[in-house]
Amino acid sequence: MNPMKTLSTRRVFIQRGLCLLAAAPTIPTFLDQTVMALADPDDVKRTQQPSGKDGRILVVVQLGGGNDGLNTVVPYADDQYHRLRPAIGKDAAKVLKIDNYLALHENLAPLKNLFDNGQLSIVQGVGYPNPNRSHFRAMDIWQSGQPENDLVTDGWVGRYFDNTCVGADPHVGISIGAQLPLAMQGSRITPLSFDRPDNYRYKGKDTSDYLSLNQAPDGPPPANAASVKATPASQLDFIHRTAMDAQVSSTDILRITRNYSPTVQYPATEFGNGLKMAAAMIGGGLPTRVYYVDLGGFDTHVAEIARHDTLMTQLSSGIAAFWADLKQQGNQDRVLMMTFSEFGRRVEQNASNGTDHGAAAPMFLVADGLRQGVIGQHPSLTDLDQGDLKFHIDFRSVYASVLQDWLETPSKPILGNQFPILPILKA
Amino acid sequence: MARLHPMLEPYVPTAADPFDSVKAAHLLNRATFGGTIDEIARAQKLGPREAVNWLLDFPDAPAEEINPHDIPDLAVIKGFPSDPKAMQALLLGKTPAEQQALRMQIAVANQQADITTSNWWLGRMAYGPFPMHEKLTFLWHGHFTTSATDERSGLLIWNQNETLRKYAAGNFRQFVHAISHDPAMLDYLNNQQNKKAHPNENYARELMELFTLGIGNYTETDIKESARAFTGWTHDGINYVFRPAEHDTGIKKFLGTSGNLNGDDIVELILRQPACSKYIAGRLYKWFVSEDPNPAISDSLAQILVENDYELRPALRTLLTSKVFYQPDAIGSQIKSPVQLMVGLVRQLGLPAPDDRVVQPLLRQMGQIPFRPPNVKGWPGGHMWINTSTLFVRYNAAVTLTAGVIAGLADSPANPADLVGHWVDRLIQRPIDPSQNFVLVNAARGNLQPGVLRQATGVAARQVIQLIVSMPEYQLC
Repeated sequence: MNPMKTLSTRRVFIQRGLCLLAAAPTIPTFLDQTVMALADPDDVKRTQQPSGKDGRILVVVQLGGGNDGLNTVVPYADDQYHRLRPAIGKDAAKVLKIDNYLALHENLAPLKNLFDNGQLSIVQGVGYPNPNRSHFRAMDIWQSGQPENDLVTDGWVGRYFDNTCVGADPHVGISIGAQLPLAMQGSRITPLSFDRPDNYRYKGKDTSDYLSLNQAPDGPPPANAASVKATPASQLDFIHRTAMDAQVSSTDILRITRNYSPTVQYPATEFGNGLKMAAAMIGGGLPTRVYYVDLGGFDTHVAEIARHDTLMTQLSSGIAAFWADLKQQGNQDRVLMMTFSEFGRRVEQNASNGTDHGAAAPMFLVADGLRQGVIGQHPSLTDLDQGDLKFHIDFRSVYASVLQDWLETPSKPILGNQFPILPILKA
Repeated sequence: MARLHPMLEPYVPTAADPFDSVKAAHLLNRATFGGTIDEIARAQKLGPREAVNWLLDFPDAPAEEINPHDIPDLAVIKGFPSDPKAMQALLLGKTPAEQQALRMQIAVANQQADITTSNWWLGRMAYGPFPMHEKLTFLWHGHFTTSATDERSGLLIWNQNETLRKYAAGNFRQFVHAISHDPAMLDYLNNQQNKKAHPNENYARELMELFTLGIGNYTETDIKESARAFTGWTHDGINYVFRPAEHDTGIKKFLGTSGNLNGDDIVELILRQPACSKYIAGRLYKWFVSEDPNPAISDSLAQILVENDYELRPALRTLLTSKVFYQPDAIGSQIKSPVQLMVGLVRQLGLPAPDDRVVQPLLRQMGQIPFRPPNVKGWPGGHMWINTSTLFVRYNAAVTLTAGVIAGLADSPANPADLVGHWVDRLIQRPIDPSQNFVLVNAARGNLQPGVLRQATGVAARQVIQLIVSMPEYQLC
């Protein structure tokens, strides 16, 4: 392929790949050094902001299937808990107590350490009005952040990108999984997603001719892509530009993840591997603001204990390794992790020693500089809604707090309303 | 009778503007999932009018009526209940634990049934007797959207698919009536819970907003009143059932008419609205011609629907033979859906059926699983199909599908430029930019001897094919 052409199209990529936050003073450039080195001096000058390595990062951990909140953060001192869960209730003698009422599941010892160090917060009883108990719909609600709107086509993180970034650099978000989750989908910006970096590349044999056929056209992209008429030429232009973005990001991601060898030992699970890749990309200086990692299998209708215990181990060992790795990198203070599940589970165990779909549940937040360990009241085990816990904290309050106090952006344009900010982070 | 919009008048081939292979391929791309080489030749020979008549020549009947042997075999699925009505009987007398286990097993069987039906349908799109019939059925699946769930019987999904097929090119009036009685639909939009004492507005709302009128052509009161008219419309696990005790027989006021209206009355009142024919004509225009709406043209098309009492064939025939359908800005302006991309490739190259276990995950990664649309609005389409991740999946899927046997590979022209021309015609089906052509020819030819292939003809042809399906141009039709 023609080297000159590569250079010129890379410059095009840079020109439109700027993703500066609109109104915040400490903004990463979202530019990676290899691309920067090829750019015109003028381009560099224009985009030279504080280094991408200073930017704060959010890591969303999705617990798919409906995690049993009551067996994760256990109200071990509540008689009603043991009464309603004679077979699957956690043993008060084994759980990891954090006060005289609450404890963490016994396989969450690494998370208990983080809690004791002030690096883990538990937000209790999170949910929303009229909870939906269908996996699909409830997951859409959590991912869109819009329980009232069932036709939503973008997610809350996607709207964060749309609202705060100029340009269309897809690097701003990376989802590790086979399919881009609705949460990350913006109407203007579509982040990257792949299950393994090795799948995020062109697999045909003739890569050099493929590259030539997929060059981006010269010149800036249309200012308002959404209003462009769908002619053959405009559609081709759009696909060529997407292909160029794909190629540049693929090269970066393969280069960074292939050679990553952390000193920390990650658990050999899919979740552990996903977090290891996220760590590689953070350490590699990618300008990514939000990573999205999934741990599935929480739909424990039958014989819950064995499965849930294993999942708790996977969750805590993965997070522990990731957190230690970030410390090694010197990046721990840049990252906030947040876990969520589409719903909690029924308070009372079912006939199969499992639990059915429920409602409110706790969320975990992991970061340096958290303000307090437990946020909010534990929901009552006797005052229930159709057998499920009632929520005290709207999940959009958690999102709003993360957006405002961590990502330093106004939350109302993203969430539609101003939700109360929780005392999560130190000022 | 209103005058037809000039752009809906028939395109008449001339010496300067002939009905060439580009136009014949365009017709087959939009009316079917892409033409086979024989179909394109046949359409070209028939000319624009007769080609559409040929494509529309299929019975308005479900697949089972057309050929009882060519339907998905759900009976072989382990644990699949052939009679969902018998579910309650199966559960009777079982312990709660046994009931739970049985429900789980049925959920797994339902999932498998939906995948089996999906695979059968993809096969029918690619190899079935009436490719336009299936393209229309697919259009209506995205319009009268219903999503499968683990709890919803796979039989209801299959029955709805047959209903869509029966009315796909038939009468839209009868179609809306049939869909309003369709168990899978009533289930999906919660009409099971729509009872006199507690009306549920979900079906009434989507019927107007998404299926017939479009937003802005009715009030919230119309939704509330019509929801009452649909109370008691439910199903018994397999068939539509009307439960008089749950039905509200009071007076409803809907779109200016008062009376003890039922659901059938509501459908008739909706179809009488000019907004309904315009909405459906706009939908057809967007699906077949262009994503950019053109109300002047689609409103004229709506007139044809009204004049023919909502028969779909006259409107389809007008649209697919029109000047606007063949205008240069329409040809090659549509981003292929994942199903169009994969089925189209199979049809264009006459490929053997790809492994179901490969196809379903690829469609999932490209963002289009039949029977699993993202929400009641169906698939948004257009630019939403393409992002950095799906683009790699689309390219790699096409490379994977072209790794096996391709008929005629070794018989490709031996001259590099001719070989490239041959496969560009087959796959992209319209001229490409000379610089793109230059890259392809360079890839095929030897360094030292211009005009000679670098490799054996079959090997060179495959290399060129795999490059062509990895081009932005191939994403469009």
